[in-house]
Amino acid sequence: MMNFRNKYILGVTLALSMFAIFACSTETEVEVIKEVEVEVIKEVMVDTPSTLSTVLERDLLKCGVNDNLTGFGVVNSDGEFAGFDIDFCKAVAAAILGDSSKVEYVPLTASARFEALAAEEIDLLIRNTTWTSSRDRDLGNDFTATTFYDGQGIMVKASSGYDSVESMTGATVCVLQGTTTELNLDDRFTGAGIPYTPLTFETNDPLQAAYEEGRCDGWTTDKSGLASKRAGFENPDDHVVLAETLSKEPLGPLTRDNDSEFYDVVQWVVFGMMQAEESGISSTNVADMAASPADPGMARLLGVGFDGGEPSDFSFGIPVDFMQKVISQVGNYGEVYDKHLTPLGLTRAGSLNALWTEGGLIYSPPFR
Amino acid sequence: MKYNIYNQIKNEKSLSGKLNVVRYDKNLRKIILQIIFSSFLLYFLYYLITRSFNLDLGLSHLSSRAGFGISHQFLTDYTSNDSRWDAYFIGLVNTIRVSIVGIAFATILGILMGLARLSKNFLLNKISTAYVEIIRNTPLLVQLIFWQLALLQLPQISNALTFGELSVWSNRGILLPYVNSLQNGGLWVLCLITGLIISLVIRSYASKHKEENVNFVSPAIIALSVFILIAISTYVILGVELYADIPQLTQNQYGTYIQSGGFTLTPEFATVLFSLVLYTGTFITEIVRGSIQSLPKGQTEAAKALGLNNYQTTTLIILPQALRSIIPPLTNQYLNLTKNSSLSVAVAYPEVFMVSRTIMNNSGHALPMLALILSTFLALSLIISLFMNILNRQITRIGA
Repeated sequence: MMNFRNKYILGVTLALSMFAIFACSTETEVEVIKEVEVEVIKEVMVDTPSTLSTVLERDLLKCGVNDNLTGFGVVNSDGEFAGFDIDFCKAVAAAILGDSSKVEYVPLTASARFEALAAEEIDLLIRNTTWTSSRDRDLGNDFTATTFYDGQGIMVKASSGYDSVESMTGATVCVLQGTTTELNLDDRFTGAGIPYTPLTFETNDPLQAAYEEGRCDGWTTDKSGLASKRAGFENPDDHVVLAETLSKEPLGPLTRDNDSEFYDVVQWVVFGMMQAEESGISSTNVADMAASPADPGMARLLGVGFDGGEPSDFSFGIPVDFMQKVISQVGNYGEVYDKHLTPLGLTRAGSLNALWTEGGLIYSPPFR
Repeated sequence: MKYNIYNQIKNEKSLSGKLNVVRYDKNLRKIILQIIFSSFLLYFLYYLITRSFNLDLGLSHLSSRAGFGISHQFLTDYTSNDSRWDAYFIGLVNTIRVSIVGIAFATILGILMGLARLSKNFLLNKISTAYVEIIRNTPLLVQLIFWQLALLQLPQISNALTFGELSVWSNRGILLPYVNSLQNGGLWVLCLITGLIISLVIRSYASKHKEENVNFVSPAIIALSVFILIAISTYVILGVELYADIPQLTQNQYGTYIQSGGFTLTPEFATVLFSLVLYTGTFITEIVRGSIQSLPKGQTEAAKALGLNNYQTTTLIILPQALRSIIPPLTNQYLNLTKNSSLSVAVAYPEVFMVSRTIMNNSGHALPMLALILSTFLALSLIISLFMNILNRQITRIGA
């Protein structure tokens, strides 16, 4: 008996000492690995080709999009991607590759989108994504520009007679669980001391069913999303989106961190489309305007010479006449907006998405 | 015999002799293998722990403001200004609530259906067979979504059924008349339960002494009077004041329909309850059927021979014996029901998993929250197991 006990003691001692050896050895290994990793990262930073050259080499732009949001990104009845966000993908492809059809659309879920961009599955993410400080800081990406100023709204049935958040005292509001929307909703109602019941759903489909069957009085999410869902209803006029906006939700394209060449191209394509609208250049008159630009500013935007002179040289590493291709193949900002968002009932006049000259926030820095 | 060889080999001083010691000594061999295995295990654990040092594993973020509302509350008064711990607690109460009610109903349903499956009545037999085969063989998540959509088909609140102002039925909830109290209602019910237990103990004590003392008052009467005494005295002391709580449907000044009063069964709770009860009920049915069928047929025949009718045979002879083999697998089903309640995240019932996930999304502390969820369900399961083990011991002792 004594013998066995001794053996066990011996065994435990052995195990502990082996564990200690393991522990010591791994620590040094970890340090070595860390050093190697740092070197690898340095090399990668030096050698990685920029996304712009990757796209040029591949002759194809990979764009991460939504495939299930009418107006912004959806697969239409011909099996093609169409929408506001999709047109910005096309514009970037037209600017870089000269052909707006050289885009591969990668449909992404909300939760997979940032990883897809960081893992280089896509070059560009345009998927109704809100620009927030934490996303810019933590997720390894850069927001280029705001293409659409969204805000959280509440949709109610027209027959309910609700006209404001205050009138929704005691109402039940359906909301997606774990979203900032849920928190904004509570901030608004609890902040104003209005009693309400939130009903939180994990996914959109049961939420929509609950709203349609009258389980909840209101449905809250981004106003663009509400307009899109409302347009999909059998009788859109039976539903009203309340005028009040509960939060700021600026949407726009994202590129990877530290990719400034490509970042600049995307940013200035978006600005160019806004500037084109401001200057009155559209897909119908862009050829005439390029042939005889009305002023030097317009000539700079279109990459042509003014009054027989030489064109200014600012090209972002792509052909200097990139905006001509963008406008002729896709259109200016207003055209894209009218094509996809006006049919949803997202009126532009008087909203934040009007041109700055008309009281909105759509404003391009100067092309100079 | 073995030790002769052992000693023989041990005496050899060569290396091969020493290796042979390891080869032939069963105990030493076992120890060496165990050391190798446990050092791998320890290394793996060490690796996990060192990795987790880099993460913020604290739960301190749970004391910050929750900031979101919760639709279902039971016996509590939570607002979004309360802490995340409070929100988590609401979720836990919701889980426990649906589990307890679900376990009770699933047991009743399972026993009835189990008996029906063995019934000679053609209709009963086929109904229970169809119930088991259909419900058991479809996924629970699909059933949950089915019940959710089915319950949404109740009338909308503007056309709610009221059944002569006694009850309100709409897809916002089913409100039933209910007996409520002005204050301390829950406490009084607790007192009643305690009183019941006390009076039962008194009865069994009194029954023991009855034979010694012939002039003793009937134990039942003593127990009953003790119970009534406790009930009335606590009613007066706590100032309970019961009243009939009739559900009401009103409109506020903005035209929002408000339903209040009575006992509320919300569609979300009902969805989860129905699905869990029906689904778990099928397994309990089969457990009951199997246990009864495992009893020797002679038990039924003997009961019949003694002149007992069907009801007496079942309740006095069959079920008490079957219960012994029912309890252990039944525990498994109770655990399954409790764990499956986490699926209700799909149908907007805010149980502990859903609330914790909301907190996880808001705070970004995924790992500690998941650890909290896992330990919550582990604790619930262990508590259920404990109760069922105690019950099992009681039942196996009877008639042993």
